[in-house]
Amino acid sequence: MSDQHSMNSDFPEVPAAPVKALGRRFSLVWVVPVVAALIGGWLVVKALTEKGPAITITFKTADGLEAGKTKIKFKDVEIGLIEEVHLGKDLSHVIAKAQLVKEAERFLSENTRFWVVRARVSASALSGLGTVFSGAYIDVDPGKKGKPATSFQGLEEPPIVTTGLPGRHFILESERRGSLEIGAPIYYRQIRVGEVVAYNLSEDGTKIISKIFVNAPYHQFVRSNTRFWSASGVDLKLDASGVTLETESLVSILVGGIAFDTIDSNSGGEQEAAESSIFKLFPNPEAARQKLYSTKNYFVLLFDESVRGLVPGAPVEFRGIPIGQVIDIKSEFDFKRNKIKIPVIAAVEPERISFIGQLPDGVSRETLVDYLVEKGLRAQLRTGNLLTGQLYVALDLFSDAKPAKLVRGGRYGHPEFPTTPTPFEEIGSKVTQLVAKIDKIPIEQIGNDLRDTLQGAKRIANSPELLETVKSLNAAVKELQALTTELRTHTTPEITATLQQVQRSLAAAESSLAADSPQQYRVKAALDEITGSARALRVLTEFLQAHPESLLRGKGSEK
Amino acid sequence: MKKAVLTARNAGLIGCSVCHLLCPATPPGGTAKAAKCPRCGATLHSRKPDSIARTWALVIAACIFYIPANVLPMTTVTSLGMVQSDTIMSGVIYFVQSGSWPIALVIFIASIFVPLVKLFILGYLLLSVQLRSHYRPKDRTRLYLITEAVGRWSMLDIFVVTILVALVNLGALATIQAGPAALHFAAVVVITMVAAMSFDPRLIWDAKEKMHE
Repeated sequence: MSDQHSMNSDFPEVPAAPVKALGRRFSLVWVVPVVAALIGGWLVVKALTEKGPAITITFKTADGLEAGKTKIKFKDVEIGLIEEVHLGKDLSHVIAKAQLVKEAERFLSENTRFWVVRARVSASALSGLGTVFSGAYIDVDPGKKGKPATSFQGLEEPPIVTTGLPGRHFILESERRGSLEIGAPIYYRQIRVGEVVAYNLSEDGTKIISKIFVNAPYHQFVRSNTRFWSASGVDLKLDASGVTLETESLVSILVGGIAFDTIDSNSGGEQEAAESSIFKLFPNPEAARQKLYSTKNYFVLLFDESVRGLVPGAPVEFRGIPIGQVIDIKSEFDFKRNKIKIPVIAAVEPERISFIGQLPDGVSRETLVDYLVEKGLRAQLRTGNLLTGQLYVALDLFSDAKPAKLVRGGRYGHPEFPTTPTPFEEIGSKVTQLVAKIDKIPIEQIGNDLRDTLQGAKRIANSPELLETVKSLNAAVKELQALTTELRTHTTPEITATLQQVQRSLAAAESSLAADSPQQYRVKAALDEITGSARALRVLTEFLQAHPESLLRGKGSEK
Repeated sequence: MKKAVLTARNAGLIGCSVCHLLCPATPPGGTAKAAKCPRCGATLHSRKPDSIARTWALVIAACIFYIPANVLPMTTVTSLGMVQSDTIMSGVIYFVQSGSWPIALVIFIASIFVPLVKLFILGYLLLSVQLRSHYRPKDRTRLYLITEAVGRWSMLDIFVVTILVALVNLGALATIQAGPAALHFAAVVVITMVAAMSFDPRLIWDAKEKMHE
């Protein structure tokens, strides 16, 4: 204690520093852990409140799925994460457990669909290319409201139409699928307006039911009288009207397609077709246009002649205007009359013909056909295409036709329409022309002339002058023959002798002319003489030329 | 028994914490005014005021922040459209799996082990002081020194993140963003450092002194 005092005395000038009493008051430093606790608590609360439902999605394969990495996105907004991927008990599928955000709870229902978005390449489209780099993710279509669910079956293919897409679904019924694929385009005036969503066989297996989706705003063009037809692939046709080649687009060649149009649009009063309206899908645009007429009358046409070249679908024409088509061709043998008949069932759309004026008395719309038949309306087979030999059924009024009646209630349940044999009109007219030409030839006169000529010839041949002439000719020939014999027997030996003499003379001449013959020698000597004489003569003449005076004076002296 | 050591407090003196001038302390019960160092004017305290309470508060705050620092993602790497968030621990696991043991070790020690150890040491020191433990005061002091020395190195992780964020910013190719954990982790490091500073190691020895008195 004494030390303490002495220490104090060492620093007299230093004022005493009070030892601060440790007060039991609240220290401000506690604000720090309180703030930390608040932040931590806020984080915990946030995490708890933001924690959405945990769901399980079943997929066939976990291709592209990665626990803790694969995200669940809706409209490209992240709404969850795959936390766990494991195999199903029977190894046939994989189960992905996912944690969704709180907001997902609102739309999650039994109708919600999940599918994995991967890069996909198909004939009609290329999609999900972004996932090549970012990895696959799971997309969601909330679907319609329904019972809440936490377990889902994932789709293997992305759905074509999601709930949010504006537009309308329609159902098409067709006999054949054609080359239609899911995702095949729908065309309206060759603009792509929708897609085929699904197709399946009807329950009774008689038709294909395709579900299509037409995007807004094009769905308003689908009216109650709109026609749909298959625009699948290339449509190449060779029929009575020639060659037709049709296609909607290159894509439709590959994956098929459907086109629609409201062909009879001038009526205007048609309503927009409601969601899921049912339409018939026609196999081609012609069929779609043809069937515009709702009323159809079926007739049985009984033909006697061959129907080679007539096929179902062949047109029924009224003076060149197609008013129907052949539906079926049968054949039957009538034992009673021992006759073969070929019943052709044809559908005629009478609405294609408009009638002007009042109907005659006692004739209603229903009995109009009977009336026309009585007036001579008949069916006839005609050649439509000379190249292919296609036939068509022509209806026409034949005023000279045998009277016939429309027989109602026939064997095929349709009225029997009277027919008239094929006229072979063109051939007939040609034959007539030929006959007319032949007629014009004066065969009779030619015959007469020919006969006269022949008669004249006969007369000449049978005349006695001719006989005489022939006789004298015969005598002349005989004389000539005698002359020849005479010539042969007498004249010829003399000629031979003369010739022999000539031969001898020639031999003598030859010997006298030979080189070593004496005549030759003498001739030569004579010639030499002559040469000498000639020379002398020349000398003389030359001398005389030089000295003409010598003729008078003589040779003279040389001096 | 060992003879009591003469301390400044026993001698009725207070060492100025700024200029280290020893001043005579007014005996307890004197003026409540805070004493000032006669030389430099700094407030004089025989011991750091409210040391235990302050340290406790900070340690608790650091403990609270330590949880989100490890649970929330530290970095968010966007590489070619692929987004990946990593917490500290998942980063360590990633490096272990990719074979980079040294990097994994550095991150683990600097970012997980050291902050945790610091919190434990501080907690132990506080408890031992409050329980007036006499157990190996020298070693405890050493622990305190280690805590203070090593504290700043935990900021390494924050620096790495900062550098990465600044460096890897290649637009669509790759970007790195700091996650919410970075903030909490920085808070843990700073708060533990402050906590270590606010702890007065002399308190470890005070218990021994009191016993000898």
